[in-house]
Amino acid sequence: MEVFTGFTSTLGSLAGGFGTALQPFNLLLLSIGCFLGLIIGVLPGLGGTSGVAILLPITVFIANAGPGGATSAVIFLAGIYWGALFGGVITSILFNIPGEPWSVVLLFDGFPLAKRLGKPALALSSSFFASFIGAFIATVLFTFFARALADVALAFGPAELFAVFIMSFATLIGLGSESPAKSVMMIGLGLLLAAVGFDTLTGAPRLTFGRVEILSGIGFVPVTIGLFGMGEILASAEEQGIGFVERLSAKVGLKDILETLRELRKRIWTVVITAVIGFWFGVLPGHGATAGSFLGYGLARQYSKNKANFGKGEITGIMAPQAAADASAVGSLVPMVALGVPGSPTSAVIMAGLFIWGLQPGPLLFIDHPDFVWGLTASIYLGHLITFTMCLLAVPLLAKIMHVPYAIITPFIVIISIIGSYSLNNSMFDVFITITFGFVGYWLRKMKYPLAPLVVAIVLGDSTERELRKALIASGGSPLIFVASPLAATLMILAVILLLLPVVRNVRERRAARASVDHAA
Amino acid sequence: MILIAAVAMFDSRASALPDLSGRFPGGLGPGFYPFWSAAMIAGAAVVVIYRWYGAAATGEGVFAKREAWTAPLKIALPMIVMVGLIQWIGFYFVTGLYMGFFARFIGRYRWIWVVVIAVVFPALIYLSFEKGFRVFLPKSKLYEQGFPL
Repeated sequence: MEVFTGFTSTLGSLAGGFGTALQPFNLLLLSIGCFLGLIIGVLPGLGGTSGVAILLPITVFIANAGPGGATSAVIFLAGIYWGALFGGVITSILFNIPGEPWSVVLLFDGFPLAKRLGKPALALSSSFFASFIGAFIATVLFTFFARALADVALAFGPAELFAVFIMSFATLIGLGSESPAKSVMMIGLGLLLAAVGFDTLTGAPRLTFGRVEILSGIGFVPVTIGLFGMGEILASAEEQGIGFVERLSAKVGLKDILETLRELRKRIWTVVITAVIGFWFGVLPGHGATAGSFLGYGLARQYSKNKANFGKGEITGIMAPQAAADASAVGSLVPMVALGVPGSPTSAVIMAGLFIWGLQPGPLLFIDHPDFVWGLTASIYLGHLITFTMCLLAVPLLAKIMHVPYAIITPFIVIISIIGSYSLNNSMFDVFITITFGFVGYWLRKMKYPLAPLVVAIVLGDSTERELRKALIASGGSPLIFVASPLAATLMILAVILLLLPVVRNVRERRAARASVDHAA
Repeated sequence: MILIAAVAMFDSRASALPDLSGRFPGGLGPGFYPFWSAAMIAGAAVVVIYRWYGAAATGEGVFAKREAWTAPLKIALPMIVMVGLIQWIGFYFVTGLYMGFFARFIGRYRWIWVVVIAVVFPALIYLSFEKGFRVFLPKSKLYEQGFPL
């Protein structure tokens, strides 16, 4: 009975929230926010976080002078975030340049599906549909479980998080289609690159060799822009020659949408499960859409029947990370709203907005400002619906970008890549990093080294080290903490099993080969 | 790869091992993580070399045909020159020159189109990034003397 009362009370509050979010002024702000976010997401180097930060001062006027006050302001900011989540995939899929950190993972399958398999519309609409479903599931979870989940998330300690990261790496080694030794090497390189710069605990410079520019570390965005954007240009110049023109299907429309829906139907459970896991990952403080997207990709690959197709344009490799990324982004608002702890960098900026508007995030927000909380919740549903519709209508136009002549699109990609890496820190050093990793990416491609483990390790390297050291500090240096809790122990055992898989596979193959030789003799 | 690993291991050797004397919080110094990441690279590299050595030679080199290295080089060289020029003549002039170079020598466009491309693209980038989003891109050496770009 109590559960039923709680359920109806939540529905009532949500209806009130829709009443707030659907007010013409708020709806207009939400639409503008989503549109700006979409543009910000498409442009490399302008992340959702920086987009929200740039437009934060405007919200002061909205909160003070607008009819909706702080609720209108948060609806506008959140709209930018949702728009950027969708927009980031467009440059990843069409140009092989990550528009946003969380769309890096789409380079693995999105671009191959768009370019090599010639299905840009399918690649884009797959990601949009997955984003929408992922976000919808996450918003439903947000609506009903935000407060309860925030409490549970606080119990998820560094040891458990470290185990999650180790399992992600183990998945890439154990279930990758490439040589496990090469995958290990790439993970090692990624972790090493992530370690460059100041050590966050002791402040000691690491692997900087006296260079001031790298004291703050090597950002993974310039590296991935180089590895994928520049690397692909050099590789395709060799494989297809200079001056080749794309000959892709120009027919985009209802047929592509129907094909996407058919593909989605086959993978609906993968999308739902990765969305739920992505949401949960987003709820854990300190992790946002980027880590969530990689987790979603790893899980989808681990349980897919088409493991060999991953990296070659597999639709699951687009849908799963995209659903997880959007769900993580929604989840990252849970600790912000319920506990006053930002779940991701973007939610940290939104939280700064809450302070500016005179609100105190935390459990009391639900009691003192229910209009604000439920208006925000309703705007998450509406924001994703608006962005999804905008994106879907723009698919035919976006897919036409693939037909732009080589002599225009190639230098344009190089220019946009340079803007993307430069504008992160206004640093030419980041541009040199991008160019250098362009050559590295080309060389690694040529030598058949997998790029995915390298990128995953660069992205998760910092967090992995942080959780490892936090766990050891908590245990006074005892490594037993990693198997002390049942959850951490289970994840660690799974990681070990995954790491042993290539060895078992190797032994079985050798036995089979020996048996066939004996049989032939 | 082995060289990278060796340099990284050498650089972080001082605190490579866990130290429970209380010198570092949690027993791990700043060198632990990079040292063992580099060790991972070195270990895997040894396995890759062993496998490569053990495998039969395929007979084809990395750059078997001339085009295999000339085509990427034709893209790479202008890219390097362009990045090198940014700090001297600024991002917008470089963009115009680079776009124009590709349009003329790769796309074989007529000069009039080359000029249009070389002007329109930097202008669009300027309007959207510099004016629209307040993202300031590198300017030429003349910028400090009052030149707008």
